[in-house]
Amino acid sequence: MRKYLLILLASLSIDIIVINLAYANEEVNVYSYRQPILINPFFEEFTNSTGIKINVLHAKKGLLERLLAEGADTPADLVLTVDISRLTQFAKEDVLMSINSSVLINNIPFYLRDNNNRWFALSKRARIVAISKDRVPDGAIINIEDLANPRWKGKICTRPGSHEYNRSLLASIIAAHGEKIAEDWAKGLVANLARKPEGNDRAQAKAIYEGVCDIALMNTYYFGKMKFNEKNTEQKDWAQSINLVFTNQNDRGNHINVTGGGVVKYSKNKKNAIALLEFLTKPKVQELYSSMNYEYPVNPTMSLSAELKSWGEFKEDKLPIEKLAEFTPTAQKIIDRVGW
Amino acid sequence: MSTWNIWSVPVVIIALAIIAPVLAIFYSAFLGDTALWPHLFSTVLPRYILNTLILMLGVGSLSLIFGVSTAWIITRYNFPGKIILEWALVLPAAVPAYIIAYTYTDFFEYAGPVQGFMRDFFGWNNSQDYWFPNIRSMGGAVLVMSSVLYPYIYLMTRASFLSTSTSFFQTSAIYGRNTFLYVALPLARPGIIAGLALVLMETISDFGTVDYFAIETLTLGVFNVWLGMNSLSGASQISSVLFLIVVVLLTLEYLARRNQRFHEKSSGQNIMPEQEISVFAKVICLILCLIPFTLGFLIPVIILLNFVFSGFAVINFNEILDTTFASISLSFFAAILVMSISFLMVVVANYKSNSFQKIIIFLASCGYAFPGTILAVGTVVFVGWLNELIHFHISYFVGGFMVLMFAYTIRFLAVGNGAIRSGVMRIHPNLMDASRTMGVSFFQSLRRVIFPLVYTNILVGGILVFVDILKELPITLLLRPFNFETLATYVYQYASDEMLEESSFAALIIVIAGLGPVIFLSSTIKNISKKKQSNKT
Repeated sequence: MRKYLLILLASLSIDIIVINLAYANEEVNVYSYRQPILINPFFEEFTNSTGIKINVLHAKKGLLERLLAEGADTPADLVLTVDISRLTQFAKEDVLMSINSSVLINNIPFYLRDNNNRWFALSKRARIVAISKDRVPDGAIINIEDLANPRWKGKICTRPGSHEYNRSLLASIIAAHGEKIAEDWAKGLVANLARKPEGNDRAQAKAIYEGVCDIALMNTYYFGKMKFNEKNTEQKDWAQSINLVFTNQNDRGNHINVTGGGVVKYSKNKKNAIALLEFLTKPKVQELYSSMNYEYPVNPTMSLSAELKSWGEFKEDKLPIEKLAEFTPTAQKIIDRVGW
Repeated sequence: MSTWNIWSVPVVIIALAIIAPVLAIFYSAFLGDTALWPHLFSTVLPRYILNTLILMLGVGSLSLIFGVSTAWIITRYNFPGKIILEWALVLPAAVPAYIIAYTYTDFFEYAGPVQGFMRDFFGWNNSQDYWFPNIRSMGGAVLVMSSVLYPYIYLMTRASFLSTSTSFFQTSAIYGRNTFLYVALPLARPGIIAGLALVLMETISDFGTVDYFAIETLTLGVFNVWLGMNSLSGASQISSVLFLIVVVLLTLEYLARRNQRFHEKSSGQNIMPEQEISVFAKVICLILCLIPFTLGFLIPVIILLNFVFSGFAVINFNEILDTTFASISLSFFAAILVMSISFLMVVVANYKSNSFQKIIIFLASCGYAFPGTILAVGTVVFVGWLNELIHFHISYFVGGFMVLMFAYTIRFLAVGNGAIRSGVMRIHPNLMDASRTMGVSFFQSLRRVIFPLVYTNILVGGILVFVDILKELPITLLLRPFNFETLATYVYQYASDEMLEESSFAALIIVIAGLGPVIFLSSTIKNISKKKQSNKT
């Protein structure tokens, strides 16, 4: 018994040493806030067409801190995030390099990338208002500001305000109206809530289906994921019970957030990392973002997929996306104050 | 004898290395500006603290009820099913709190089977027709967390009951006192308190459940400040409040033990006789033991199995098999490391240290109370700082397994220390003195006297650590190498996207992987008891 134990321990120790030699030179190492299941199909495409292998480390928190601690020794080449606020933090901490790439500049509109070309948005998601088909008449809600109207008292469901999607929505309202009016809006919204904020966006659609509330905040791709959910077919019913409202179509447009990425300043393999980033903005891959995950492409040459088109073409808030990140801390403070 | 000796010096150095990442968190807390505090104080902090305290009180009480009552019943009474329940009661420890939160929500929510059945049965049409408690609430969190945390108390309390000398019970019988209240409970206090301390620290540091149930605790606040206000230093400052609560807890634990040391000079009469009871009492015993087992194990496992069957086609069994192997070897290796360090620390603190060294060693347990992600960040910050000092090419370590092991040690040392300390404290100091007087070296005394006496405690601690690491999520997520998945990270990446079918099988494996060691532990405890019994006759 003791002998086997020693052999096991020895082999594990070898594992520990050997694993680090696996980061070979040509491969691209990615720190990703996005789940592997959502990006692996893109990476497989890339590896198939270029022969370059990709290694992924996924975590939802702390990757920036790890990168900072690793400093010049970091094995990371590319960073992918799901929220603009994270993305700009990387730039602010000066761990991303400025990329001079005509491909990226042509494929991504100016308001969706950094002034100094350190980060680039790769897909867009719209945060919309979902309303009950039966209980909320069409046209009753037009602007996001309407959600603070006392008319909807006890009718609204949302996930907690401190979630990045809500924080970023509130940041967009701060950008449009200033802190004071944004806080009044948040107060009004909280006064209208049907229940304590809980669950994710899908859970809100479900609450509408169940009659707990009539109105909810939601990212559009959840609608697609529910509508075509073959594994949990009850989610199709949830999607059936709601209509999507793109807000503020007569003024600034509907709030959007992005997923994006940038190349690490201390990357040992910048060439391939940039190639991967460029690859992710190409029409063929951009189409995958829509078909697989119901996200909106950033590449302006793309037209919407038939499914996305059926939800309605909409005007988006073209606020330079990094403004959102700027107002995020203020948004969190408002959320704390109003108890969203 | 100087207290700075060949034993205490290395142990203090190890302890300091383990405290360093916690200090790194403090450092970043003080480094940052405190401008956020007025805002936090006037808005969320009172709520966070209150919720945290309520959660601790709730989970602590319910876990105590579950853990102590079952430990006593199993030790003392004979009833049908006891042989199975004896180890089955430990199984909930292998169910990660975040999984039980997912499964319970699914089970108890409007569309779930419970409410569905009730609607069919009573003819209700929608949620307006009846009232049903919301599982996503403080009460739900208390129930869910207690169901999987009580085994810490059960195990440690039972280990104490088992090693309580029969003569005490005979004495209480002679005087007509209640054996449980006057003998068993006071004597098992170190074990009970050690278990309770672990439960409370686990409660404080939990993120998965409180996030899923939207309970605004300090830990949730840490993340709101860190990610919402881009202020790691603000987050560290809130973590320091957590730390204070834990220091208070640990101090209380220490004081509770100091006034009452329990020593036994022999281990010869350790078998408490089982009491024969009426049929009615047997049924009560069975039910009392079945409740926590059902809540913490049976229900979540049945729900998971249901997912496995309905999602059979989408489960990638090969991938999960590889992941299982990786996960088990990692946890096994790390558990041995943690327990070795724990044993060394506890015996050195007990026999070879001055009070200063004792405090350092004591502080090394504090990592258990930090939210895993914050601890992981503290670890990389510390290792990064070391790398700046003496350049050792950090990327060979962070993202290899070494830093991961290091972080596991920081996090779970408290579990090992708690288990071993409650054993060592029961050993009469005379035993060590006698051994040394006979000219036996300290090392040999440890090997021949102390180690055999705390063997059960080491096993108990080792298994808790193994299972803890098996289900550990945030540290593994951040510090693992590229392309490396453990069962927990595998479950997480699907479950966080609500793909419960894909994640269910891996989740089930985490639970099942805990079965083996638990059964092994249970049979070992029994064998030891038997051996002692036969030695006596």
